[in-house]
Amino acid sequence: MSWAALPGIRNRYFNILYFASAGSYTSKNVEALPAPLPLKKLFATLEERYKGIRASVLDHSLVTINLTYVDMPDDEGGDGEAEDVVIQEGDEVAIIPPVSSG
Amino acid sequence: MIVPGMGKEGQLRLINSRVLIIGAGGLGCPAAQYVAGAGVGTIGIVDGDVVETSNLHRQVGHATSRIGMKKVDSLITHLRGLNPLPTYIPHPFHLTPQNAADIISQYDLVMDCTDNPATRYLISDICVLLCKPLVSAASVQKSGQLIVLNCPPTPQGALDGKHAPCYRCCFRKPPPPSSMVSCGEAGIMGPVVGMMGVAQAGEAIKILASALHIPPDDSASPPPERNLHQPTLLIYTYDLDSAVGPYSFRALKMGGRKKNCFACGENSTLTLEGIKAGNPNYEQFCSVPTARCTLPPEGRITAAAYHAARERGELTEHILIDTRDSEHFSFGSIEGAVNVPFGKLLMKAAAIKRDGTPASEVLPPGLGEADAPIFVVCRRGLDSQETVEKLKELGLDHGGERRIMDIAGGMKAWKEEVDPSFPYI
Repeated sequence: MSWAALPGIRNRYFNILYFASAGSYTSKNVEALPAPLPLKKLFATLEERYKGIRASVLDHSLVTINLTYVDMPDDEGGDGEAEDVVIQEGDEVAIIPPVSSG
Repeated sequence: MIVPGMGKEGQLRLINSRVLIIGAGGLGCPAAQYVAGAGVGTIGIVDGDVVETSNLHRQVGHATSRIGMKKVDSLITHLRGLNPLPTYIPHPFHLTPQNAADIISQYDLVMDCTDNPATRYLISDICVLLCKPLVSAASVQKSGQLIVLNCPPTPQGALDGKHAPCYRCCFRKPPPPSSMVSCGEAGIMGPVVGMMGVAQAGEAIKILASALHIPPDDSASPPPERNLHQPTLLIYTYDLDSAVGPYSFRALKMGGRKKNCFACGENSTLTLEGIKAGNPNYEQFCSVPTARCTLPPEGRITAAAYHAARERGELTEHILIDTRDSEHFSFGSIEGAVNVPFGKLLMKAAAIKRDGTPASEVLPPGLGEADAPIFVVCRRGLDSQETVEKLKELGLDHGGERRIMDIAGGMKAWKEEVDPSFPYI
């Protein structure tokens, strides 16, 4: 799937972008998932769809909503605010694993 | 180089600056060209490798005539041709916890152009402790990342107000080794890594010309007015799947320094002495145990033994599964091999578990149900072992009656043991 096929904003969905190894794991660059979704349920939702993705990709990735970094609720660095974040219809979420090669 | 915002003052700051480029590869080569061209006064380069043919498509500071030369010397030769005026300092060895602080302390700004997570964490930690800004880029396959860290630099543990993040604030944990591959292994598009290296040079020049690298508390030379932006992670994605698909740049707003960051946060116990003495252990931190299995000997066969058995006619009825990606498979394979890329196989296996599709569908039609033994080969012999385990888990071994074997060492071993002309790329 290419960026050209990026789905438009669908009712009751948000777009999730998979970068680097997240893209290889899911074989997708982007897909639409049902919204609203509490941020703290995001990883469990993805794990259900892509078994093993949590340990292989998500646990060390950073997450953005609408191009802005968010602390994942289970992060030690989280200050509690993330607990209440809900991904809304039309949001763009991105999963960004570190890339280390060069 | 006269543009709005860059006049004599900025140029003088560049001449008086000392930049350290760590890694003389796909990022370091393009980055160094523009740093040298901009007239930075002193340029240090760290790398312990020598130039190889397979580097040249992306490592534009080297040349066919310099294959076998230390990369540091090769790149400096190239840079002198571009601009003989800067002082070039070669550090022809790898950065280690033992030598890192001594080298980095001699410079004003560090550019991380390395290719492995252990060194990335080491560089970031030292930059925090020595108050050096860090311009970090990385690239693999078709995507790249760029972020300016620790800039303007502030002392470890300072948390009043907004401070720039370090690498650990952004990426707390390294990925498991099984998912990490070097550029040589995973493949890399030359222009993608080149773009990231050039962008990296742009950020370094900007920081130095506007004196952002001078810590705010340095009263000896008051820094000019700062126009600070929120820390930004630039992501570049290049799409090969579609002829009309656009490239994509995304600028992601990052958070500031994290209160509980292991390196720069409050109560951090990280010290230069500790790092030198092996604490933290970067190698260990970056090679956490993986779920990757090692099959017992009876589940494996060497490439040579497999070939010999075929030659003797003992393996007329068998299925050979090649789990490499189709791009690798397209360059050549063992006669009769069926290509089932590992990623697709894992997805199918997960789907089978989830919704009860017949287990045989993990393989192309007809192969799953058959009784003929299955041999699995991959690139280097890891994915194939996991595949053997998966096929058994799905019951394709018919309760142990059907042999499912791994060809140890993959196509790499096949080239070494059986067919030296095989195009292992």
